[in-house]
Amino acid sequence: MKRALFGLEFIAGVLAIVVAAVVVGSTLGSATLVRAAIEKARSDSAASSNQPQLSALVAHGQKLFAVNCSHCHADDATGDEGPDLHGLTKSDERIKGIITNGIKGEMPAFGKKLQEADKDALLGFLRSLK
Amino acid sequence: MELFLAANIWEMMHGGSTHLPVALMLVSAVFDALGGVIRSEQVKDRFHAAGLFTLIAGTLGAFPAVLSGLILARWEIGGTGALFWHHVFLWPAFALLIALSVWRLIVRGRRSRAGFLIYLLAAFAAAFLVSAAGYWGGEVLLGGS
Repeated sequence: MKRALFGLEFIAGVLAIVVAAVVVGSTLGSATLVRAAIEKARSDSAASSNQPQLSALVAHGQKLFAVNCSHCHADDATGDEGPDLHGLTKSDERIKGIITNGIKGEMPAFGKKLQEADKDALLGFLRSLK
Repeated sequence: MELFLAANIWEMMHGGSTHLPVALMLVSAVFDALGGVIRSEQVKDRFHAAGLFTLIAGTLGAFPAVLSGLILARWEIGGTGALFWHHVFLWPAFALLIALSVWRLIVRGRRSRAGFLIYLLAAFAAAFLVSAAGYWGGEVLLGGS
């Protein structure tokens, strides 16, 4: 009886590991494939266009970035004194909050200098950075 | 603008679902541990039942959390900084949640004492991993850098 019980638990354990490996493995594999497909589509799109069509919002944000942010984050936003701003994962609200209030001892506040529309444009530009 | 609205939907789904596996895995491990030390058979069974149901609910909650998180991270499964550490703890936690649920659903009440002790260790390990993933997830959204 004890041996049979151990057998059931062992078989259940093996099955549990197999199911977990299949689910997590397929999730990671699918995510990798989707990411590769998105990046390929982006590079194909960029290659087919000699002049990237920036929306007015992003173009405005790019100008604001050059004037206000590039001193610390570098002209291409890859980071210098401040961090690299490519592929930000913070929420829109959080990014706008940092732009508005700054970070104590690290980054100045731009709340008085930039209007809400400017912050939206800056956010749009930051989101366009890949 | 539509892109930003769409991003907010995934942010809301991630924020709404991601706390389920963290909280439920923690209480599941505690319920099962209590079920292991209490002498009354009736109360013991109830704690184990509560441990099973919270484990299953937490595992089910992990699926929308993982899906929305992947979309928010632009399908990045590794990353850098806080996102990297979030993923270091997240993937083993996700695998362990699924494995524990499958094992419990097959074995149910027909477990040996040694089997239960191994399960309990794995359950507390899962609770730690999912909590650490939650901590680093918070750092991704609210961290200073």
